[in-house]
Amino acid sequence: MPLLDREGLQADPFDRADPSAEGVIVPFDGLEEALESGSNRPVGVDLPNHVHPSRLASHLDRLALVAIDFPKFSDGRGFSLARMLREQGYRGRLRATGRILPDQFAFALHSGFDEVEISDEQAARLPVGQWQLAPHQFSDNYVDTRDGRVSVFKRRRAAREAA
Amino acid sequence: MYRYDEFDERLVRERIAQFREMVRRRIDGSLTEEEFTLLRQMNGLYLQLHAYMLRVAIPYGTLSGRQMRQLALIADRYDRGYGHFTTRQNIQYNWPRLRDVPDMLELLADVEMQCIQTSGNCIRNVTADHFAGVAADEIEDPRPTAELIRQWSTLHPEFSFLPRKFKIAVTGSAVDRAAVAVHDIGLRIVADAKGRIGYRVTVGGGLGRTPMIGKPVREFLPREELLPYLEAILRVYNLEGRRDNKYKARVKILVHELGTEAFVARVEEEYARIDRGAVEVDAAEVARIAAYFAPPAFEALPARSEAFEKAARDPDFARFARTNLFPHKAPGYTALTVSLKPIGAPPGDATSDQMRVLADLAERFSADELRVTHVQNIVLPHVRLDDVPEVWAALVEAGLATANSGLVTDIISCPGMDYCKLATARSIPIAQEISRRFADPERERAIGPLGIKISGCINACGHHHVGAIGILGLDKAGVENYQITLGGEPGDLASLGERLGPGIDADEVPAAIERIVDVYLALRTDEAETFIDTVRRVGLDPFKPALQPQEPVRAAA
Amino acid sequence: MAGKRPALPLVLSASDLLDGDVVFHTGAGWDRSLSAALVATDEAGAQRLEAALAEVESGGPVAEPFLFTVTLDPSGAAVPNHYRERIRVCGPTVRHDFGPQAREELSHVSL
Repeated sequence: MPLLDREGLQADPFDRADPSAEGVIVPFDGLEEALESGSNRPVGVDLPNHVHPSRLASHLDRLALVAIDFPKFSDGRGFSLARMLREQGYRGRLRATGRILPDQFAFALHSGFDEVEISDEQAARLPVGQWQLAPHQFSDNYVDTRDGRVSVFKRRRAAREAA
Repeated sequence: MYRYDEFDERLVRERIAQFREMVRRRIDGSLTEEEFTLLRQMNGLYLQLHAYMLRVAIPYGTLSGRQMRQLALIADRYDRGYGHFTTRQNIQYNWPRLRDVPDMLELLADVEMQCIQTSGNCIRNVTADHFAGVAADEIEDPRPTAELIRQWSTLHPEFSFLPRKFKIAVTGSAVDRAAVAVHDIGLRIVADAKGRIGYRVTVGGGLGRTPMIGKPVREFLPREELLPYLEAILRVYNLEGRRDNKYKARVKILVHELGTEAFVARVEEEYARIDRGAVEVDAAEVARIAAYFAPPAFEALPARSEAFEKAARDPDFARFARTNLFPHKAPGYTALTVSLKPIGAPPGDATSDQMRVLADLAERFSADELRVTHVQNIVLPHVRLDDVPEVWAALVEAGLATANSGLVTDIISCPGMDYCKLATARSIPIAQEISRRFADPERERAIGPLGIKISGCINACGHHHVGAIGILGLDKAGVENYQITLGGEPGDLASLGERLGPGIDADEVPAAIERIVDVYLALRTDEAETFIDTVRRVGLDPFKPALQPQEPVRAAA
Repeated sequence: MAGKRPALPLVLSASDLLDGDVVFHTGAGWDRSLSAALVATDEAGAQRLEAALAEVESGGPVAEPFLFTVTLDPSGAAVPNHYRERIRVCGPTVRHDFGPQAREELSHVSL
């Protein structure tokens, strides 16, 4: 399935089925088993959006990828989960999967996601250009973001101090 | 009043560019109608019964003459020459075309206005006391807090796709005129024993299908902790609020189902963990925002005005002065309510000509400020008593001098089925007919304060649950049917009305309301006992017979 | 289409995407006049309207399509059965100067 980050389409080194892929993504309830298997392949996990991220807390440094599902584009739990995982110190890849829209891509990046994995149907309907444009539609945010934007409140302060 | 800086301005302009692109993508098939619907709603655009409807944010109900004049221009150029002021201190246009909306948004941005988050499952326009900066009992003007929340919540990456809409209200006075108890979050500005300013926080109030009074979650939240604490509440709600049933998706249901104690525990747990630095706002920034709301330079005036007292010999002026003026903290000044409830007219509507009159009056007589109230009226907040006769004369000329603020014809009504897609019955014609029945100003005065609130469906946009008399319009087997409730109040003694009995037909409603009022007049101890006080004292039983038509039907003529 | 089909005879309505005006399916396209609407009086007609509805449900030149039941008056003109649709085809009952009632003959529809 197509994978996009802020630069555009990317090759996906992970797969849920293909054993020759560089890394594997396992279901949440298969995570313990995959981590204990002794394999050297990087392990990622599909996190349903009703699971509290604290349940990954003990595995964070062994996970190469966390994929958070957006079952409907109107279901914004994934944005909180991403930010919480980052707050808990997760440094690996963070991927949004499911029904997410280009119009939400900037929010996803701001919340700590690195990339989105979409269906072929979505990719056909929503061309790459729309995804690439999305992160640049707004110059500023009123809160600090996980992708490095400093809040308007703080930038005003900086401007005052520089003056 | 707050003024946009370069950041605020750029964001609003970029939002319009994004919206234009969104419309293009709906037309070219990139976005499905379902996707487009949610996205346009976050820009305040609904598709209603007859047309699109654009809801413009009037943050905490404050606007300038220039802004009001621009609202009039938009009404003339892109709508049908009028607008509807809402219970959430916003204005709605009922007839915009989608193809024109981006241009309407540009005209709004020219006067620092926008439609961001006036709909959708996100944090909505923050409302506040319409007498902010006026009331003598104010601890602090609530608008700097509301403005801070407005900025923080605008396009918030984490909280833009919540289970349901989310409404926050702020009051800074001892008397709550912002109905904070019936909001998802209610904030009351309070001072602790050391004189530090903070907030009393309630969560889980709301009207709609399951009306609830908000539960206190913090008795004193220090000012600097406000935004991080709001983030903790919103995060718990975003994660745990119900998404399986839209009628159970508001935070009030989560608070109710978990229990207040468990809800608070989850919020505090999240609050301990949350990255507070991401929403840190330093004291200088808070002060920068607050400075915009500094009171105008009031002249040193005597408390009494000769010109005013002379004018009060005119009984019409005297009646207006008695009902539509609110005491101002500055001697010699008053806050003047302009009623958008002329007898027999749709509540809350103003023509573009009336808007321009209001803009002129604000500029000439009220420090260039106007307020929209949740009762769907307009306030000129800083009028010298000396000027009231002249203002009144101008209002009379414009058909805006109805002397009924707070009285029985000052009816709150949602648009109902005359405009709204969700409505189950009409509201406006009911309001109009009741208003006509009580048109006699002397009778209205004798009845005293009485809030009638009408909703055309269970979603309760007309706040019927908190009406001293509430009217809810439903569809009963293909016929409009109305349930009457008594005893609701939105303010400090917030209470929800109770149903008086089975629903009645539309044409029976006005007479039933008259009979209910007659029962009150017969039962009250004296003129000082208001309708709501009588209902609280005697209960509903004495009013129940009033629901049934009596022989001969009174006042049927 | 969500839910069950309303009773015959049926009219398919929607809102024009760009203008927001109330429109009706004519069998060949969309029109602002109720009098131009295709009225389905049998199963074949209803299926035709359902097919037209399905075609525009997720996109196209109109938004929010839905079917509603009408009664044919003695002249053969369609009158919506429910008051909601009667208000919708005419315009606000509190502003007779706006909506379809202001621009065309709808005297056969009343509340």
